[in-house]
Amino acid sequence: MATAAEPPARRTSRIRYDFLAGQLLALGGAFAFAAAIGSVIIIAYNENPLFVYATVLNYSTARVQDIAQVLEYATPLIFSGLAVAVAFKAGLFNIGVEGQYIVGLMTASAAALYLDFLPAFLLVPAVLIAAMAGAMVWASVPAVLKVRTGAHEVVTTIMMNGIAISLVAWAILNPLKSTGEQLVDLRTNLFPEEALMPSFAGTFGLESVIPISVHLTLLFPLALIACALVWFFLFRMRLGYEVRAVGSSSGSAEAGGISIGAAQVKVFLISGALAGLVGLNHLIGDKGYLGSNYETGLGFAGIAVAFLGRNHPGGIPLAAVLIGILLRGQDGIAISTELPTEILIILQGVLILSVVIAYELVQRVLRRRMQQEVAVTETTAPAEA
Amino acid sequence: MPLVDLGAAIALGLRYFTIIYLTGLGGLFSERSGIVNIGLEGIMIVGTIMGAWGTVEYGPVPGLLIGAGAGLLFSLVHAIATVTFRVDHIVSGVVLNLVAIGLARFLSQLFFGQATQSDPGIPDLGTISIPGLDLLPLGLGTAFEGMSPIVPVAFLLTIPAIYVLNRTRFGLRLRSVGENPEAAQTLGVRVAPLRYAGVAISGALGGFAGAFLAIEINGLFREGQTQGLGFIALAALILGNWSPIRLLIGSLLFGIAQAVPLRLSDAPVISLLPEEFIRMIPYVVTIIAIAGFVGRVQPPAAAGRAYEGAAT
Repeated sequence: MATAAEPPARRTSRIRYDFLAGQLLALGGAFAFAAAIGSVIIIAYNENPLFVYATVLNYSTARVQDIAQVLEYATPLIFSGLAVAVAFKAGLFNIGVEGQYIVGLMTASAAALYLDFLPAFLLVPAVLIAAMAGAMVWASVPAVLKVRTGAHEVVTTIMMNGIAISLVAWAILNPLKSTGEQLVDLRTNLFPEEALMPSFAGTFGLESVIPISVHLTLLFPLALIACALVWFFLFRMRLGYEVRAVGSSSGSAEAGGISIGAAQVKVFLISGALAGLVGLNHLIGDKGYLGSNYETGLGFAGIAVAFLGRNHPGGIPLAAVLIGILLRGQDGIAISTELPTEILIILQGVLILSVVIAYELVQRVLRRRMQQEVAVTETTAPAEA
Repeated sequence: MPLVDLGAAIALGLRYFTIIYLTGLGGLFSERSGIVNIGLEGIMIVGTIMGAWGTVEYGPVPGLLIGAGAGLLFSLVHAIATVTFRVDHIVSGVVLNLVAIGLARFLSQLFFGQATQSDPGIPDLGTISIPGLDLLPLGLGTAFEGMSPIVPVAFLLTIPAIYVLNRTRFGLRLRSVGENPEAAQTLGVRVAPLRYAGVAISGALGGFAGAFLAIEINGLFREGQTQGLGFIALAALILGNWSPIRLLIGSLLFGIAQAVPLRLSDAPVISLLPEEFIRMIPYVVTIIAIAGFVGRVQPPAAAGRAYEGAAT
């Protein structure tokens, strides 16, 4: 327990230390809890939990190509986690990353198909910009409605997700429809070679260790750069400061002369731009066309990643890699055990929920302790004076 | 002019209505108690798989009840997270939806030996006709023939729902903790149990609706068969301004909107509109309503807010 004699500077650093220790404790506890739940299910299947967890780890880290596979899975999740987190810093919940990246898939495909006269060094950036622009347009609707009419962004983005699915389904069947033979899966024409994202292995001369079946592309380093940019934006730029001020206390922010509405719209557009990049690794790093069976759920997974990574640009890539390990681990489970691979999806959910709960609990304890300290300081200070 | 197509569209629309309405009604109880529940889709998914399994094992009536029970149990995760641990309602709801997909695949593998669907043709409840209405001329009567008995049950559920919400001590208290938990607490109402009850009702009704979808409409469990109906239920709930009667009307509209592209695609005017655009209608209407362009909707005052307890 603190005494009033303790100098304020030391008290601040001790609180910060407590805070960090608390976070680590929460994380450890949550992992242990999730592992315990997982073990119960695994034992019910007559398998050894330690062997299963070792298999998951082994399949995702043993060889360079396994790590590359994990990073491939992590790439879209980094973008979607960032998109959710950056909006959340302004106190906004972007549930619409899902719809925004789906629209981004559509606009990116349109760019890849119709701007095919561009050389590769211009076409790939054009596709990226088209994806971001489409997603930004989709994000602008809830953002403007929020600021102008007060319509809650959670509701409007959920609805925009529903509209996006139908819109893209329509686009695949009509303006973007394949001109060639009618195939079983409805899709666009193949994109020109110049529209595809260069592979990571090819760019850095790693073809000998990363086979072409792994679709790790330059989008991965781009995702890390995006993390750095988001960090710089949030913690070193004026708008980022305003965003954080609005998120932590909109009343104080407004009193401090910040336009809440303007900051919220801007940050939501940034969130949308990041969301636009979510689907691209599948689109121009792997498939090379937009099919009606495109990858879904990456936006919702981004919410999980953002909260696992504490909505911090440093935590998000780690969280994304963790989810990547669980995804890659499914292959190991399928080959080496009798377990259904879906056990890892369930574990992922348990883990996220227990992490969120653990953080909440630790924060509650810390807050209470701080309040007690303040109370002690206030009651003892006059006596000593 | 025979209106057989219109009758068929209404018949299918009524089935979709039943899913949307039951799920929305559950959501209504949860949100009126102050707990936002965007996990309705996930709850419904759990209802589909458990309902299908229950039907294969024990028949359709136990199947529906097992679906409801499973939805209830699953929703308790949301209650524990949001009420007891004060986790953000949206985060918990999203996790519910994520977990449900994995859980359904896991259970499907366990029950049916394949992750994505059960064998088709599980037994259903049989059908009934609404006496009188099934004699409507011009083919409109087809709308009320061969109906699942659950459809009229869903309609009739409105009466007890309104009664419980407006005329019972439980309903009054439930609404009070959703509007102003601090005041309710001051008057001796215990907030947490009521919020647990609200969420549990949403779980039971959502699970039941999911089981209804699997048993009475599709005749099997299939991955992705809920196709966002949980979110449409949420839309109907918002459009219905969290009131049962308006929710009923909204669900009817959205239910019919779901059926129109499937049954009336050749009708005049509608044939000019791509099916995909008709599917957007519920979402567009809801955005317009929530933005206040047509009448304002007003959620329960404390919905989405954690209750810190009397100590703070």
